Amino acid sequence: MKCDALVIGAGIAGLQAALDLADQGKQVILVDRDPSIGGRMINLSKVFPTLDCASCITTPRMASVAHHPNIKTLTYTEVDSVTPVGPRFLAKVTKKPRYIREDLCIGCKRCEEECILYLSDEYDHGLGAKKVVSIPFTNAIPQLPVLDMDECMLCGACAKACPTDAIDFMQEPVHEEIDAGTVILATGYNITPMDAKRQYGGGKLPNVISPFMAERLLAPHGPYGGVMRPSDGKIPSSIAYVQCAGSRDASIGVPYCSRVCCMYAIKQAMLLSGSLPIADITIYYMDIRAFGKGYEQFYQNAKAMGIEFVKAKVAKITEDEEHNPIVRIERQEGTSAPEEVKHDLVVLSLGMVPAWVPDRDGIIPLEVGADSFVRTPRLTAPNLTSLPGVFAAGAATGPKDIVDTIVEASAAAMEASNYLEACAK
Amino acid sequence: MKDPNDYKILILTTNISSYPGANTVGQARLQYSPATSIIRVPDPVVFPDDFYLRAFEKGVDGIIIMSSGSDCPYEGAYRRLSERVARVYKEMEVRGLDRSKLKLTTICTVCKAAFLKEIKDMQDNLAKLEQKVAS
Amino acid sequence: MSEEIRVGVYICHCGGNISDVVDVKKVAEELSHYPNVKVSKNYMFMCSDPGQQMIIDDIKQNNINRVVVSACSPALHELTFRKALQRAGLNPHMYENVNIREQVSWVHKGRKEDATRKAIRLTKAGVEKIVRQDPLEAIRVNAERHVAVIGAGVAGMRAAVSLARRGLGVTLIEQADRVGGRLLEMDRIYPTGEKAIDVVNGLAKEVEGEKAISLLLNTQVVGIDGYVGNFTLTLQTGDEKAEVRAGAIVLATGYNHYQPQEGEFGYKESPKVVTLPEFWALLKEDKVSAKHVAFLHCVGSRQFEGLDQPQPDGKVNDYCSRLCCTAGLHAVEQLLERRPDTRVYHVYKDIRTYGRGHEDYYERMSRKGVRFFRYADGEKPEFVGHKLKVRDVLTWGEELEIPVELLVLVTGIMPRDISGIIDALKLPTGVDRFLQEVHPKLRPVELANNGVLVAGCCQGPMDVIESCASAEAAAVKASILLAKGEIELDPYVARVVPEKCDGCQKCLAECEYKGALTMTNRPEGGPLLATVNKALCVGCGACVAVCPTRAIQIAGWSLDQFDAMVDALVSEEYTHA
Repeated sequence: MKCDALVIGAGIAGLQAALDLADQGKQVILVDRDPSIGGRMINLSKVFPTLDCASCITTPRMASVAHHPNIKTLTYTEVDSVTPVGPRFLAKVTKKPRYIREDLCIGCKRCEEECILYLSDEYDHGLGAKKVVSIPFTNAIPQLPVLDMDECMLCGACAKACPTDAIDFMQEPVHEEIDAGTVILATGYNITPMDAKRQYGGGKLPNVISPFMAERLLAPHGPYGGVMRPSDGKIPSSIAYVQCAGSRDASIGVPYCSRVCCMYAIKQAMLLSGSLPIADITIYYMDIRAFGKGYEQFYQNAKAMGIEFVKAKVAKITEDEEHNPIVRIERQEGTSAPEEVKHDLVVLSLGMVPAWVPDRDGIIPLEVGADSFVRTPRLTAPNLTSLPGVFAAGAATGPKDIVDTIVEASAAAMEASNYLEACAK
Repeated sequence: MKDPNDYKILILTTNISSYPGANTVGQARLQYSPATSIIRVPDPVVFPDDFYLRAFEKGVDGIIIMSSGSDCPYEGAYRRLSERVARVYKEMEVRGLDRSKLKLTTICTVCKAAFLKEIKDMQDNLAKLEQKVAS
Repeated sequence: MSEEIRVGVYICHCGGNISDVVDVKKVAEELSHYPNVKVSKNYMFMCSDPGQQMIIDDIKQNNINRVVVSACSPALHELTFRKALQRAGLNPHMYENVNIREQVSWVHKGRKEDATRKAIRLTKAGVEKIVRQDPLEAIRVNAERHVAVIGAGVAGMRAAVSLARRGLGVTLIEQADRVGGRLLEMDRIYPTGEKAIDVVNGLAKEVEGEKAISLLLNTQVVGIDGYVGNFTLTLQTGDEKAEVRAGAIVLATGYNHYQPQEGEFGYKESPKVVTLPEFWALLKEDKVSAKHVAFLHCVGSRQFEGLDQPQPDGKVNDYCSRLCCTAGLHAVEQLLERRPDTRVYHVYKDIRTYGRGHEDYYERMSRKGVRFFRYADGEKPEFVGHKLKVRDVLTWGEELEIPVELLVLVTGIMPRDISGIIDALKLPTGVDRFLQEVHPKLRPVELANNGVLVAGCCQGPMDVIESCASAEAAAVKASILLAKGEIELDPYVARVVPEKCDGCQKCLAECEYKGALTMTNRPEGGPLLATVNKALCVGCGACVAVCPTRAIQIAGWSLDQFDAMVDALVSEEYTHA
């Protein structure tokens, strides 16, 4: 396959960059390892500071990409290597098998309806279940199911139900080569692991959840249809946020600030306040970094709504016999004697780590910083990487919120199209 | 008494917001009455006062305007729409039509529950009105 | 033109998704008797190649000139079918997509008869709409392949260079006598510690290297007119005026530093109180000899109405200026490099070192013995008699008096006064007075005015990296707009039937988009004619609703079409099993 630009990652950064290139007439191939485009944003409930519905913002971009004549999307595809060849690049990718014939599938979901086996749903971050063969989520693009072959019983119920005979149990991975004029890395982030900090329960306390799980509880098509805590379904009336639970902490290898956690905690607290008006919500923080446009006002609104902000270092989280989390804090204001506070539900405001560290596995020969994010050597051209012709945008270059990500993605598209112009001369 | 599922409800939706919202309801296979009909427009501000009155004359039982609310990209459209609806209410009163037969609301692209609730509310409301007339 | 209207209707089974609930054969049958329908078919998968070919064949061989497909949502295949029509030589807008899947078969599963009747009436409504449809052409507006960039600071230069490299002409306008903007006030910048002048010179060299950039120093913008693709800017250099035509405008007008009022924390009353920019100037010349220096954060930002003095326009700055925490700590680092024995105190509300590499400054300064004191929101410290009094919440609310020989007010930023440009184009500003983008996420560098883009601090506080990213984003938007030399706009804008317009001007009163509607003289005389500027009309329909003669309609979405649809929708018998 040949294209002008290869965009790796189809989250909001990749989608925006692909559109800005395609709208200039460039041929774009957009690759994502997940079965659907949309990245992390499609999974969120609402976004700060406007409290817009995340899906409502992401799905039009996804639809534009899907219908754009200049964009070819390869989902469920891993990038194995990217090698510079002169000014161009040769990428080797592997299309993972969905076990579905894409040319025959019409997205009717019969297979999903007939499948008899349930699995933990990774889009609901373990809170919900999905069938072994299923379309990842309601607005997935493409609307094609994935069959989890590791869990599949091979009972054939899906194949029998499929009106177009699209199930293919023997499907193999397909290796492709892509000849691209330029590459954009929009590979996004993961959150720091739940079990990184032993002192916070090591990921084993059922009512100490990750911010993604909280997003799913708050999302319009979430797993429980409302906010309930995992251990017993109780509707929580006392909820706590532990800020810097995965950042500004050298002991877990993440000494940097993850930039978005203050804001997403405040956002989630506001949404919780809206859906559980009697609940007490406390945010234990070190600094509240509400730095962006509209962010400070958002923070002040949250205070006015009665959300409690307590400057305190959380030393330890344990639980009692009913799985009520107990937070041990050292207040930094007022008394400094350690206190133990019991809550119904605790959300760890985990930080961001890069989703893809390309030079670690030898996939692409470019430099990363000490923080493992892609190194961007030029201040005035912040999307350039150490490899000419390869540009990076979004969380790939460091923790980032959505607004800055979208701006960077457009900027990367500009650099990429100028690179193509220069190469053409 | 009519089955509430038989009330002819006209739903006006927007291209960017509530029409995709109706699609989301379908993607989730949630069920509602087939006596509903959905029309889509760039923005419901386009309909003049007499559009609504004419629709009632022609046999529509209830009209739900599902606007884009704060997602609306058109300056001043929502304000004009609400002012218009207020005027239409007055005209409906003159014609003996209860104002609850026309509802202005906001539905986003994923507001499944809200979408269904609007239809159910309209149906319940129309049933109540029918009862009032009967009694 | 009275060509016979010949509608082709196609009902899709969607592989059972529709046909399991809706009796598609019955729908096709019923429609075949409907007025204007010449062909009515049903098929397994209309979106497939054979399905599309069926339509194309009917257009070519059966003279079908309007098409209705009842299938899944238009979101999926409207474009597909429009392209099929184009391939068959028919105007792509002579197509109507009726949704009988997401909005019928999937939501009325248990009521097949009713679902079938609904599919019939929706399809009939679709026919009524398309029967009243005219062919539409995309609106093409000639565009100048030239961009005016206003401001030659970091953001302006960055945008200009990117645009020039893309092949567009650029006029880079700067009111000062040199490029570089406020970066010239700084010595070193974070997070790299490189010299600001090197950054400026680097960009200036790139500007020089691009022949397509025309740099105008000492020049003001005194007038702007026009619309996307066709702006005219009037520039003044000294006594001379000149005009520049541009297809797009990038505003990179930057910011002003917050100026504390006299007496604010002792400013101007005491020589020991300086702002952060004044501190930079002192540092550059190594004039800081004080042994005790205090930095007071959030001066001019995060203000509260009632507590803080408002600005001349009556408002307070309730926003965070984003840059000052890191800038303040960076300044401390530079101070301690020169004078390691200085005692430094930071008095802050929150330390917002959010960016990549920023936390390191906080870390390092803490380790170097800088003392941090925190005051609560709403409790401002006071500068009294050379002492900074603060109630430090970190030490149990103790009232501290910090003796300072120098107090640095870590000041934030405010937008520059560009009211001339704002008024000329009716540009939107936010409550914070910075320029307001259309949508912070969907369109972060575009203003509601089509063709006007923003880069850098005129939109909100940003550092060098963020300003450059925003400048390049603005550049790519301009490139997308202008690359082809003409701009293609959707045809769904207002249009007027001259014979019906009686010049009442009610439409004009409703229109929010300056210049979209005007009243013009007819050559033959008679009432003024409502005239639409297709480039400025957004197609909202506000005007349509108030026209007493229905002279003005949105192309493709006319009231006659909707009235006919409503008729079709209610005339059907609603069966109930």
